[in-house]
Amino acid sequence: MLQDFAAPPMPNDTDLLDLLARIATKDQAALRELYAAASGRLLAVTCRILDDRAAAEDVVQEVFVTVWTRAAQFPALRTSPIAWLTSMARNRAIDTLRRRRPETPLAWQDADGNEHQHDVADASGSPLDQLLAAQSEGRLGDCMAQLEKEPRAALRLAYYEGLTHEQLSLRIDRPLGTVKAWIRRSLLRLRDCLGEPA
Amino acid sequence: MNWHRSPELLDRLAAEYALGTLHGGARRRFEAVMAEQAVVARAVSRWDRRLTPLAADLPPLVAGEPLWQRIQGQVQAAAPRTASKPSRRPAPAPAPAAATRRWWQSLFAPVPAGALAFGLMLGIATPTVFELLQAERDAAQLPESYVGVLATADGRQGLIVSSLRRGQTVDLKVIRAVPVPPGSVPFLWTIDAAGQARPVGPLPPLTGGFVSVPLSQPAEAVFFTAVELAVSFEAAGSRPASPATPFVYRGLCGKLWRVAPGPAPAPAR
Repeated sequence: MLQDFAAPPMPNDTDLLDLLARIATKDQAALRELYAAASGRLLAVTCRILDDRAAAEDVVQEVFVTVWTRAAQFPALRTSPIAWLTSMARNRAIDTLRRRRPETPLAWQDADGNEHQHDVADASGSPLDQLLAAQSEGRLGDCMAQLEKEPRAALRLAYYEGLTHEQLSLRIDRPLGTVKAWIRRSLLRLRDCLGEPA
Repeated sequence: MNWHRSPELLDRLAAEYALGTLHGGARRRFEAVMAEQAVVARAVSRWDRRLTPLAADLPPLVAGEPLWQRIQGQVQAAAPRTASKPSRRPAPAPAPAAATRRWWQSLFAPVPAGALAFGLMLGIATPTVFELLQAERDAAQLPESYVGVLATADGRQGLIVSSLRRGQTVDLKVIRAVPVPPGSVPFLWTIDAAGQARPVGPLPPLTGGFVSVPLSQPAEAVFFTAVELAVSFEAAGSRPASPATPFVYRGLCGKLWRVAPGPAPAPAR
């Protein structure tokens, strides 16, 4: 039995590297330790994108099984373990989302002519608003704070919900070209501010 | 124009990919090229590391025992190196070509990269000729292997140990034989970065020439953590957890495969 899944503090990269090295030797106890340490955070990422707990758990399952089968190849990536885990979870969630998203457009009309909207733009006080208002800690937080308010919010929405430029444009009701320019310029400014990652 | 050879354009696309705004055919095409080009994978990795702190703003959810049980069931049932898909969904049969894919394809590309020839980003196609040349160059390279060059206790060349990275056989070339005491057998050990010796298994008599020994599991699992290999003499039939006698051969264990140059691993946070 696992003892505690209630989001323990994320181990540092050194601890995670040790766990991955043990997992590479097919140590199931290490996989369980990694699950206890990281699953809650990965589930938060996939749930936010998919808005579907079952589908989000499927993605997390895929990630951990991939870790089990591919951990031995991790060192050659020269990346950080948490970035590897998070990007795997995000990318798989985004692919899942985009495979199904055409079935539920942002706005549609039913057979009776009634208009519906999938995502309501105004959600004052929602968890999303709180999230958008959250300030990332560390250097990224400092660099994000230097962005203008709307581009920063667009970038956060893209990251947390896996939205494309077109979906962002609809969501925040700004022209597509404007949104693309915001994202492009914001990423450039982040790169210049953050420099090469450690 | 090959966008993956233009650093500025590559970085821009990598950023949009990592953020998630790259989509449709462009995203899939990007993933296909990323699977083949280490420089693209590294660019994405840099952006992943820049953006990952955003994920820490999300309140963690509680992932429970049932999900762990599903994962555990799948890893226990999975044969080594099989495709990873949730057990509740049928896993597609691995394509024969999968074995020749580059390793980072499975790490980064969440969808198969094969059937994705359309919707090209900026109307640019990756030159097929370049990929063919790349494949030809790969075929001429030494296969990915673990290689240990061991010296005798008095510092002379003694033994070469090698194993294909994904193989299940260890090949040994005896350069200088060491007499084996009666009732003992040579025993192979891995030594990790902390100096901890772990048993690999008994070897046949190393009297000279070439010896091939099967492994009970893939070489990757046996040698991944090894920085050195060593041989001691142990009692015949024993399964020691640690060496009972001094090493008679010992030397560095190298990983003979290309590691794409990149930034140093991130320090502990």
